[in-house]
Amino acid sequence: MYAAINSSTLHGVFGAPITVEVHIGHGLPGFAIVGQPDEACRESRDRVRAALLCAGIEWPNRRITVNLAGAAERRGGPTADLAIAVGVLVANGEVPLQATSGTAFLGELGLDGSLRPAAGAAPLAFSAEGERVVVPSASVEEARLGAGLRTVGAADLREVIAVLKGLEKWRDAPRGTVGTSSAVIPDLADVRGQPEAKFALEVAAAGFHHTLMVGPPGVGKSMLAVRLPGILPVLDERAAFEVSMVRSAAGLPPQSPAPVCPPFRAPHHTSSTVSVVGGGSPVRPGEVSLAHNGVLFLDEMGEFAPTLLEALRQPLEEGTVRIARARSAVELPARFLLVGASNPCPCANEQVTGCGCTPQMRHRYLRRFSGPLLDRFDVRMWLTRPRTEAVMSGERDEPTTVVAARVANARAVAVRRQGCPNALVPPGMIDEVAPVTGGARTVLEERLRRGDLTARGYHRVRRVARTVADLRGDDDVDEDHVVVAIGLRREMGRR
Amino acid sequence: MRHAAGLAALPLQTPGRLRRLVKLGDPSSTWTRIMDGERVIPGVDERVWRAWRGCRGLEDAVAARCEDAGISVTWVGGPGYPAPLLGDLRGPGVLFHRGDLASLARRRVGIIGTRAASRAGAAFARRLGNDLALNDVAVVSGLARGIDIAAHRGALVAARGAPVAVVAGGVDVTYPPEHGAERDEIAERGVVVSEAPPGTAPETHRFPLRNRILAGLCEVLVVVESRARGGSMITVREAMMRDVTVLAVPGSPSMPVCDGTNALLRDGCGPVTDVDDVMVALGLVTGAHLRSVDTRRPPGANEQFLLDAFCGTPRTCEELVIATGRERFEVGVMLGRLEADGWVAHDNGWWEALTA
Repeated sequence: MYAAINSSTLHGVFGAPITVEVHIGHGLPGFAIVGQPDEACRESRDRVRAALLCAGIEWPNRRITVNLAGAAERRGGPTADLAIAVGVLVANGEVPLQATSGTAFLGELGLDGSLRPAAGAAPLAFSAEGERVVVPSASVEEARLGAGLRTVGAADLREVIAVLKGLEKWRDAPRGTVGTSSAVIPDLADVRGQPEAKFALEVAAAGFHHTLMVGPPGVGKSMLAVRLPGILPVLDERAAFEVSMVRSAAGLPPQSPAPVCPPFRAPHHTSSTVSVVGGGSPVRPGEVSLAHNGVLFLDEMGEFAPTLLEALRQPLEEGTVRIARARSAVELPARFLLVGASNPCPCANEQVTGCGCTPQMRHRYLRRFSGPLLDRFDVRMWLTRPRTEAVMSGERDEPTTVVAARVANARAVAVRRQGCPNALVPPGMIDEVAPVTGGARTVLEERLRRGDLTARGYHRVRRVARTVADLRGDDDVDEDHVVVAIGLRREMGRR
Repeated sequence: MRHAAGLAALPLQTPGRLRRLVKLGDPSSTWTRIMDGERVIPGVDERVWRAWRGCRGLEDAVAARCEDAGISVTWVGGPGYPAPLLGDLRGPGVLFHRGDLASLARRRVGIIGTRAASRAGAAFARRLGNDLALNDVAVVSGLARGIDIAAHRGALVAARGAPVAVVAGGVDVTYPPEHGAERDEIAERGVVVSEAPPGTAPETHRFPLRNRILAGLCEVLVVVESRARGGSMITVREAMMRDVTVLAVPGSPSMPVCDGTNALLRDGCGPVTDVDDVMVALGLVTGAHLRSVDTRRPPGANEQFLLDAFCGTPRTCEELVIATGRERFEVGVMLGRLEADGWVAHDNGWWEALTA
């Protein structure tokens, strides 16, 4: 008559456990789902009925009520199909109640009773309650990222019924490599010349400082950005877990083995704000969340919609995206390293002292970035065409591994000191982490007095100076570090 | 005075017509005759006369506007009309001005150049403007971006001298918008002049016209940086027509902004590398001229080494790393120090050594 089955529902990138209650009683034959089901879940009525019929089960011609109980605001999604189907079976007496206890069911049903993979297997399985989580076999690898060895797979509804009836055992899920392996990151040595930019990138990677590169086309802005994940420190277990969860929630194939390299996302400049920031119904993570713990690269940043760029300010500041709706608010992780690239002017034709564009045209072009947004870039650099000799020579600069080792070292020092990268040091701690004394103080004071540095700039420069000192292996921030940090924060579009 | 302003503000007015009108004699009687339907000058279309006759009362409106903005008016033959423009065959018939026209009684040197100036060019213009002002010379320029404003700023820094700005639009129209403060200070210490009545927008065709007045007001014209074809070259041609001495500042042949000035030098213009060159051209014998003092902190030995590596052209950081053989971090530190002390400037990824 009654059954309660564990399942879970997706809320942004996090799963939330729900209980699917099924009651079969007297009354006019019908099938109703209550408990704030979402659109996909309301459709599951038809899918569940067809799937059960295909599995050779007689549909109970009685009054069936399904209730989704749980903390999430909107419940369901297509992955509640399996739990509803099992609930109907239990409530109808086809399957003993004990067989389902301690087991959570996740999966979308096809009309033929097959189990289909759906987005978010990893966070769903992670949050599902019980010592066993049943998922579609195609999703096992992904679900295992969240639920580990609790995960078991099933190919279709028939198999689930057979196991629940005690006729078969849960199949041991195959342990193999499914999904895509992490992409190969090209080597930094492929980029010829550009010592200034490479140094800036190294600083950005070590301190997690947002970076803006401005330069004519063809100087290697994109080449440098693509190589940034390679020099970033590898992801620790927790960060890798977060990356996997977001990927899964976004419906991307899992990376196997678990990702160690920070993600790199480069949305095109015509992308919509929602696709980059996240949103939709149900709320899906956007590019900023997919770049969580990694790099978000905006090539031709001036061509992005201004509203999109402004929408990035909140995640840049807080490391999360909060998407509030009338009924609920969803928080998506979005702690990413923003790398912007832009041409210096509309014509983008470089000569020694510039092209035909007047300073006003350049100014207007770079003014597409608002002051508050520009302010969030700790490292802003101008790139120039590399020297012909550098391009032509077979000589290779430092490879990624060498730079990555220095970066990892500097990052380790910073994390040991304050528990986070230098860019994320809370304002209250900066005096302790990067005290300015002696010559460094004189330099900063002079720049502040002359108006070269704003108050925010002052605080950001101190963080960059700390990173520079860490990279050079120095304990204290001295004058040289501050001078270099100021030099890495070039003015854009003002003269 | 208000009739002269009214004549300048008539619709379909051109500098040539205005000049002929003013030359007829007293502007007020000319005004009355036009309003009474007399065709006072030949060769003007009936359409124009009709439009002009409909402008009764315009002279009062313009005069009120001038008074509100503190703008005075003078005309050929009128009180205070600058003497250097009197003999000018294409001089402005009417001159609107804010400030003291007596500034134009001093020795006058024009400093002009491109709006897209290099940092080094702007720095030189600034120093030259400052040095000339220190020697009590009136620095004449166009208040434009780049070289013009650098020269004006340099002149304003000096405690002496009277700066002169010749603008294309109305004297009360701030163009470019960011130069309002400089315009006001020039009006206070020197004079801002224009042939356009107040409120006139700085339309494109007014700039070449402005350049002829600028050229007419100078005794010596110095071109600091200019492309081969640019507004500065129009001023140069106007100056040559008026027998004004044109001098040019030599620049690196690798920089397009120096093409024009280098071409002038090739054609026989005198070079300017220092204020003395200009003073000689003015006929003021060189010797104990006042000049600005380089107050910059002298660079250290390492920094001097880096400065020497520039060899007079803009360099990228990469080139400096290779030229000096130093580590990029070290070069970054040195550039930062030199920049803070004003020895080098950064622009679009290029570094320039500043001579002053």
